[in-house]
Amino acid sequence: MKPPPFEYHAPDSLEEALDLLREHGDEARPLAGGQSLVPMMNFRLARPSVVIDLNQVPGLSELDAADGVVRCGAMVRERAAERSAVVHERAPLLAAALPLIGHEAIRTRGTLGGSLAHADPAAELPAVALAAEAQLVARSAERGERVLGADEFFAGFFTTALEPDELLVEIRLPEVPAGSGVRFEEVARRQGDFAMVGVLAVLHTADGVIDDARLALIGVADRAVRAREAEAALIGAKADAGAFAEAAATAARDLEPMSDLHGSSAYRKHVAERLVQRALQGAAEAAGVR
Amino acid sequence: MTDVMPQRYTGARTRRVEDSRILTGTGEYVDDVKLPGLLHAAFVRSPVAHATITRVDLNGAREAPGVVAVYTGEELEARLHHDEEAKGPQFTTLATTKVRVVGDPIVMVIAESRYLAEDACDLIEVDYDELPPVATFDDARNPEIPPIFEGRSNVRELPRATFGDVEGVFARADRVVRAHLDVHRHQNVPMEGQAMLADYDAASGRLTLHASTQGVHAVRNTISGALGLDRSRVHVVAKEIGGSFGLKFGTSREQIAIAAASVDLGRPVKWVEDRTENLTVSGQAREESFDLELAVTDEGDVLGLKVDMILDQGAYPGMGAMVPSIMQGVIVGPYRMQALDFASTVVTSNKAAYVAYRGPWASETFLRERMLDLAAAELGVDPLELRLRNVAGQSDTMITGRSLRSCTARESLEKIREVVDVADFRRRQEAARAEGRYLGIGIATFIEGAPGPRGDGPLGRERMTATVDTDGTVLVFTGQMPHGQGHQTTFAQVAADQLGVPIEQVRIVVGDSDRVPNSATGGSRAATMAGGATLHVTRKLKDRIRELAAELLEANVDDIEVEGGRVGVRGTPVSALSFAELATAVEEGRAGEGASLEVDLTYDGGEGGWSGGTHCAEVEVDADTGLVHIRRYVVAEDCGELINPAIVEGQIRGGVAQGIGAVLLEKSAYDEHGQFLAASFMDYLLPTTTEVPTIEIHHLETTPLDADVNFRGVGEGGMIVAPPTLVNAIEDALAPFGVKIYEQHLPPKRILELIGAIDPE
Amino acid sequence: MTDPVQIDLVVNGQPRSAAAEPRRLLADFLRDDLGLTGTHVGCEHGVCGACTVLVDGEPVRSCLMFAVQARGAEVRTIEGLAEGGRLNPVQEALWNSHSFQCGFCTPGFVMQITALLEENPTPGEAEIREALSGNICRCTGYQSIVEGVLRAAGHDVPTAAH
Repeated sequence: MKPPPFEYHAPDSLEEALDLLREHGDEARPLAGGQSLVPMMNFRLARPSVVIDLNQVPGLSELDAADGVVRCGAMVRERAAERSAVVHERAPLLAAALPLIGHEAIRTRGTLGGSLAHADPAAELPAVALAAEAQLVARSAERGERVLGADEFFAGFFTTALEPDELLVEIRLPEVPAGSGVRFEEVARRQGDFAMVGVLAVLHTADGVIDDARLALIGVADRAVRAREAEAALIGAKADAGAFAEAAATAARDLEPMSDLHGSSAYRKHVAERLVQRALQGAAEAAGVR
Repeated sequence: MTDVMPQRYTGARTRRVEDSRILTGTGEYVDDVKLPGLLHAAFVRSPVAHATITRVDLNGAREAPGVVAVYTGEELEARLHHDEEAKGPQFTTLATTKVRVVGDPIVMVIAESRYLAEDACDLIEVDYDELPPVATFDDARNPEIPPIFEGRSNVRELPRATFGDVEGVFARADRVVRAHLDVHRHQNVPMEGQAMLADYDAASGRLTLHASTQGVHAVRNTISGALGLDRSRVHVVAKEIGGSFGLKFGTSREQIAIAAASVDLGRPVKWVEDRTENLTVSGQAREESFDLELAVTDEGDVLGLKVDMILDQGAYPGMGAMVPSIMQGVIVGPYRMQALDFASTVVTSNKAAYVAYRGPWASETFLRERMLDLAAAELGVDPLELRLRNVAGQSDTMITGRSLRSCTARESLEKIREVVDVADFRRRQEAARAEGRYLGIGIATFIEGAPGPRGDGPLGRERMTATVDTDGTVLVFTGQMPHGQGHQTTFAQVAADQLGVPIEQVRIVVGDSDRVPNSATGGSRAATMAGGATLHVTRKLKDRIRELAAELLEANVDDIEVEGGRVGVRGTPVSALSFAELATAVEEGRAGEGASLEVDLTYDGGEGGWSGGTHCAEVEVDADTGLVHIRRYVVAEDCGELINPAIVEGQIRGGVAQGIGAVLLEKSAYDEHGQFLAASFMDYLLPTTTEVPTIEIHHLETTPLDADVNFRGVGEGGMIVAPPTLVNAIEDALAPFGVKIYEQHLPPKRILELIGAIDPE
Repeated sequence: MTDPVQIDLVVNGQPRSAAAEPRRLLADFLRDDLGLTGTHVGCEHGVCGACTVLVDGEPVRSCLMFAVQARGAEVRTIEGLAEGGRLNPVQEALWNSHSFQCGFCTPGFVMQITALLEENPTPGEAEIREALSGNICRCTGYQSIVEGVLRAAGHDVPTAAH
């Protein structure tokens, strides 16, 4: 399976990359890590006539934390983020998700921005963006910078709110309250496979009572979702098994996941409920709740 | 008359000679072969399962960049030889009037690169009038659905076989355990797919084929027949083969097509199937369903078995229709059953051809070992004890007539009982259940006729030739075609021991239809047939060495000894010659005109013997997610005398891994339209390092039957018995839910359906 | 810009150069344009790992990179491991452990193992299994490979199975 021919550009500035995107629009695809795009091209399912290689564009790989926000350039490699002290200390949601992404050789090339822009409903990073209430920074040649909230960024099945001439350039992850517990639970057919269902839970408690709760689910809809009703029910509740079970039931209640070869809709819905419980339990333990 | 020689290699974990190539990336697989002017083939393939072709429009593909030729079905057929007497379904090498499977090849494009060939394929348009597909057994039996091959029903009943007094036995039984079992479609998936490079030299009229195959002569015969060439004009060579597991036992339509193209164009043409082609249409196996009745007494005697099976052989002919009769020959296994009734039906469907897949008859072990566990549960008897009660002894004969001499099934069950503390497991199981965790244990026993004992017919023949080269290398020529089994090491071990030379001095020559005897690798035959042939032919070579040395040294042959790689007169060290010196002298005529060190021997398998064993698995099933974790896997096996334990263990573990894949991960899934759903590694899932556990292997001391050769085959056993071992364990784990398992494929969703946690789809 | 591009890079310590279309996958470039057929192609969608090579020291699936993206990079393939014609210690350990059978997956495994041991010279069994979970072998059932890596890492490996 060989990819079809394309016009190749390797711009060495963001400005040039954006100009190329403006010029070619729908005919062009940006190439970041290539771990999602290239297989699709090899299958000839994706046939861009223009490929804009972002790997020579400087300034898109910064990773730092300031004023309670961890800023990640869109081209930060997943493996680099995995090894980053800043990520471990200041972006625990990201740190929890990264080891679950594929395998090391995928993460060596795969990028944070590439994964988010690809918007696979079973991918881990969109759950991180949602749970962290990330800001996703896009740029275009025509309109300059545009900042989108994670909620509006993920628009549907492999679809984001990015315009055809826009590039995602930065992800801003607000830090979660100090002492929060984080757990990412996932069920996949094998180690490293796309999740059939995944849950990212973040809890903060004071005296055993929950005062911050975030639940992001993947594999259960056409995009990653926040279980806001379940989160709201957790606020003010004691962090115990009963509250978690109820939150799990609430989170799963209205889900209508898709069926595929790997899991039926009923399977995903059932497992989602179990995983929410496990993730909340794990987050509570990580937060030091007995 | 044999000299005493120290056994240095046989039985040892000798390092493989192949690895100097494998570990350095210098092994040559078909896709590594580079020739000047090499062309590449790609195929336009059907996206639908069953249809008539109404239009093929090449749309300028012939003129596309880099394209050298395009062949439609008719154009290709005109270049092939047709055997008027051929029986069986009639079809063209590339589809012409109809397509019968998703992936059916229709047009072949030959271009300067695979990239350019695929570009040209994209230009070609084909229109189809879809026909109702046969995607299920019911579809096949549906008279409204037209036959896939003209004039041939989609359903064929095979001859029924009966052994023993079936009616009497079933009448005597205290109860009859009944079940319907389904085995799902899954497939070989070697890491290297099918591949061939056809290189026709117009000047000499010779066609050289670089093949990835299990037997170079079979390729030669098929291609020469298809092209109407004398066999002597077709030369097949094979070096490294990247796995096969039965897939490459035959020659595919695409390979015939590129050979014809090479002859037509006078240029080398290569086809290397990509993973989509390999998964979609290279071949699949194991889709079978069974209605079963097992007659038992309340005390736990297993009296007889009735089997009514149906098998989906796909569209184009493979080996599916042969499988029921092979199953029938071994289904009673090592148990003292007194009656067998075996009925079978084969259906043709719009799916990939049913090809040989490691232990093609394996479902006989699955169904038998499942039925024994179901019976054990009904009778309230422990599954291991039920098997021990009914296992046959070595002086027994199967009701089908086959002798069970050398069958150590009893010993393998006893070994499992020794190394697996079941009582301790049951305690742990109970404690785990209290915590909502589900542990299970399962066993299964198998036998394999690898080659089986002499007693119900000859075991076949295996010819080998051997000689000594003038540099002293012992050359052994075999038609075996190793594709991971390490024959170039194991046969060299045997040869080195016979001749008393270091293994580095032996070279096992494979993969050349001009130089090696006609044979093939498969059926777990090689250990006995080829290991034995190696032993005997090198023994004969040693005799020839002594005779010619006697001639050369003008001595009595009884005074000649071969030792330490030298041959000379006993007690006269100064007379000793190296093998190189002897071979050189023979070549120069100094040992007599016409003298030759070439020896030739055909081996008949000796007394043969059974292979077999018992496997045991301990699993944990997560009732929330349906995931199964294998906590422990133990093998007690007997494959006769081991030539190389490391290689034997590798074969067993690889087979078990495929069994794990079959039960937990792998399914060649089709939908109701015959659309193939598992065309990539995202959907056809293979087990990895995190799904295959450490596998403990206990080698049993075998019962030797033969004075010289007690090596028995082991290649297929792991794959045959691992699926029922695992399914039995999973059912044991789910016993608190009252689950009985009547199928082999248990992905997480299915586990949750079985325990009633979710509704079935 | 669909035309062939000159690609200069360093492979196994040697400067190499060849022209290829932008769409040419790095795996095919190594195999066909540079004649280094040790790297194998098993799936072309990044799952099986047979095509794994090291690019600037990191393991990469060469079927998911275009050769043009490797301009100026340092690439290591299986052909570059042997030291002066002798197997290097990792290769030797794998040989001693009968790690492989048909050999088709082997180059990808060996490069991934090389990357693992360069980062973590003494991994335990669980770490090894996780690190290699992205490489598929159909022949061995993996245990012999894991043993080979344990051996390469200096662990005592029992050769008997029980």
